[in-house]
Amino acid sequence: MKWVRALVSLSLAAAAFWALDNRHGAFPALGKLLDPFSGFWQNGARSDDLPGTLAVPGLRDEVRVVWDDRRVPHIFAANDHDLYLAQGYVAAALRLWQMDFQSLYTAGRIAEIIGPPGVRQDIFSRRFGLPWAAERMLAVFRDDAATREIVEAFTAGVNARVRDIGSKGLPVEFKILDYRPEPWTDLKCVLLLKAMALTLASYNQDAALTAMRDALGQETVEALFPYVPPLVDPVIPPGTPLDFTPLEVPAAGPARSEDGSSARLAGSPAPGAGADPEPGPEAVPADESSPISARTRPGVGSNNWAVSGRLTANGFPILCNDMHLELSLPAVWYELQLAAPGVNVRGVAFPAAPFVIAGYNEDVAWGFTNGTDDVLDWYGITFKDGSRAEYLYGGEWRKTSVREERIKVRGGETVVDRVVHTHYGPIVRWPEEPPFPNMNVPASAALRWAGHDPTREFHALYALNRARGYEDYLAALKDWDCPAQNIVFADRTGTIALWHNGKFPLRAKGQGRFVLDGADPANEWRGWVPHGHVPHVKDPERGFVSSANQLAADADYPYYLGADFASFERGARINEILGRARGVRPEDMVRMQADVVDVRARAVAARLVEFLEGAATTGTEKKCLEELRGWDFEARASFVAPTVFRELWNELNRLTWDDEKTGGMEVMPMPGSQITVDLVLNDPGSPFFDDKATGGGAVESLADIAAQAFRSAVAKLESRLGPFGESWRWGKAKATRVRHLARIPGFGRDKVEADGAGQVINAIDAIWAPSWRMVVELGPEVKAWGNYPGGQSGNPGSKSYEDRVDDWAAGRPYELLFLKSADEASPRIVRRTVMRGAR
Amino acid sequence: MTAVLISLAAILLLELLTPFWWWAMAVPFVYGATAARKGGSAFLTGFSAAGLLWLGAALYFYLTGSGLIAARMAVLLKMGDARLLVVVTGFAAALAAGLAGYAGYAVKRLFKAPAKTERKERP
Repeated sequence: MKWVRALVSLSLAAAAFWALDNRHGAFPALGKLLDPFSGFWQNGARSDDLPGTLAVPGLRDEVRVVWDDRRVPHIFAANDHDLYLAQGYVAAALRLWQMDFQSLYTAGRIAEIIGPPGVRQDIFSRRFGLPWAAERMLAVFRDDAATREIVEAFTAGVNARVRDIGSKGLPVEFKILDYRPEPWTDLKCVLLLKAMALTLASYNQDAALTAMRDALGQETVEALFPYVPPLVDPVIPPGTPLDFTPLEVPAAGPARSEDGSSARLAGSPAPGAGADPEPGPEAVPADESSPISARTRPGVGSNNWAVSGRLTANGFPILCNDMHLELSLPAVWYELQLAAPGVNVRGVAFPAAPFVIAGYNEDVAWGFTNGTDDVLDWYGITFKDGSRAEYLYGGEWRKTSVREERIKVRGGETVVDRVVHTHYGPIVRWPEEPPFPNMNVPASAALRWAGHDPTREFHALYALNRARGYEDYLAALKDWDCPAQNIVFADRTGTIALWHNGKFPLRAKGQGRFVLDGADPANEWRGWVPHGHVPHVKDPERGFVSSANQLAADADYPYYLGADFASFERGARINEILGRARGVRPEDMVRMQADVVDVRARAVAARLVEFLEGAATTGTEKKCLEELRGWDFEARASFVAPTVFRELWNELNRLTWDDEKTGGMEVMPMPGSQITVDLVLNDPGSPFFDDKATGGGAVESLADIAAQAFRSAVAKLESRLGPFGESWRWGKAKATRVRHLARIPGFGRDKVEADGAGQVINAIDAIWAPSWRMVVELGPEVKAWGNYPGGQSGNPGSKSYEDRVDDWAAGRPYELLFLKSADEASPRIVRRTVMRGAR
Repeated sequence: MTAVLISLAAILLLELLTPFWWWAMAVPFVYGATAARKGGSAFLTGFSAAGLLWLGAALYFYLTGSGLIAARMAVLLKMGDARLLVVVTGFAAALAAGLAGYAGYAVKRLFKAPAKTERKERP
């Protein structure tokens, strides 16, 4: 009896222990989590505050951190080493979990945290060569004493913080996911740059366009995806004279065609599925409220411009920037000031890397938009046999090499993946494998990507942070390779400039749009566009420079940079506003960043409405038509018209383009909006409007398709949003949300109602939006305003985790505090931390 | 009552010094296996000591800055209200500790007859 009692009671106690001490599927270990002394209760509002004095091992001198009322750290150090060590410490104090998770994600190690569901993503990261590229890059900056010392100091700072917080103070996500941070390394800093390169410089439609060319012919591809599209106003003002003698561009080698290719290129997934390769712990679902933008490249929606003092009220140049990235909490950026002898810089940084990335110092300001150039090509590889040990190149068999990737899996067997490398780069997908959700990867094709080449962005950032004028900026840009960016610049002497900057392969026009034949050496990249030859403009006649991810330079420009640039709307709107701007004040620029005029709708809505008069029969259809008719083309949260127009546009595109799919095409690549706008305005009888599915000699024109699209759009909205009413307002229908990086329920912001749309300057869409808005006036005292969606703290229990979201959504920036010294008095200073080296 | 207070203090001390949640089970188990005189009191001592400690501590943290994180955790754990999470924290510890206390007592009884005082009380 007593044995039974002992056994039963012990079993019950053991069961309780087991239940509370372990994760159950995705459900966290409750005992650890609920424990008031080491679980989540310890992650309260002030748990990530730093004390007034701190011993930080490795510091050579005293470092003073001044915290302002927006919780921005202003770090003052006596030397560079201490400055970046303190930055590492502070970054980790604010965002350790985010830093750790992002680095594991990029390194292809997410299965170590989330188990088997992470394996496929990890295989993608490894096959794509992200850790491989990061290791190569690490070797390059280690050759340079200055950047090596900085990155090592940053790493030491992060690790000092990791040691200080112990296990009770770990960010709550570690507790929920039940793992501990491993020591930080220099490699993790580099991985962050590779993550950005993947997000911003890997978009391609090569596989889908190859299938399209084989089915519909190259002429159709050229017509629908032209290098210089209609309506687009390029970044570099047309007519800007070349200040260099162009190199001779190599002739095109033969593109790979269906016949005579032994490598299997079919079976590629839809490009729509590859539209959203932003790192995230799960495949990002297509943005359901914007299926069109889901087929355009990510990172598109950024704007920057600089206005010459000639056009401003105070006579000082003003520089503006908003960078478009996927919304997430903790936020992508954090704000800070970094000051040491020789540098005093303010702006935003990535938590996982040293330096200010975008910002200003006492003399200059700079900012970014994505260059959206094509620096990624696929080479179809012909293997000798199933061993894949040799491949055909220039009439000979070359040997492949293999990089063995060991993917550790939590609660499972380690997966060993043998990544086959050619001299071009790795093979990412084999014919026998399913498609990756991240990208449309052609099977048996080698990846040639500029992001794989060792690059020197840390050198560039070091120099940009310290730039005193245009020459310094230019020297810094020589080290900025990938991802290529439109880097806008202004300084206190009145110079404004914009360089479309990066490392671009020297190619024949159109080379690399389609999957290339890897056996033919003529298809190789032939070196690089020299730095002085990249598109650039300085102090143009019109008095401003601007970019919005669109075509970099028009047809006169001698080098081919790709054909995946953003559509025309934002660039056109920016240049329209600035083209007539006089007496510009910073507050005008703040308003302009929140501009919501939809140039696309303005161009076509009236035209489409003409066709819809007869098409609106139901009550809801009539109401929708009324909304469109009375619309001023502003994408306001309180309007219904933007909701109707978005859906109408999507349906119009679906009905116009999807039926063109034929032959071996799995999907019809969606042409840029300017193509459809051009057809609507100038060619309503275009055969593209004819619905190929209707037989019997029926030929549809724009009138038929527009009516059909309208009825279908209204029906879809009714089924998605319910009866016409409050839920149809754009702010609600758009469903802007800021999700947690690991998609932990309750840790994001589900409903943010904001003006804006992907195609307007204020590009707040559903999950992509301006990640940092900044306006800098370069007077004798530099003044700046800025905000971002999130908050300085990565601690979900802190009020500064997402305290900026509402002001950001409303387009309200904060004036940025920029201190001259740690002793400067300001009513906005709320706390100070003094760090000293530990003995 | 004394046993509850001593257990509570022991759990508190050990939890402050180490990062392990299971002191809330280990201490009641040890109490049950050594000092407890009845199964019921072994259970109740553990239940009360760990339950009160975790409930009180959770309430304290809830009121002093952990309300926001508790609200987020309540969503994650599908509990709806952060205040419920305070109660659940206390109850989880109480139940686990009670079971551990009783198990400790039951194990002791395998090797040792019931305590004399217990027998005296019986008639």
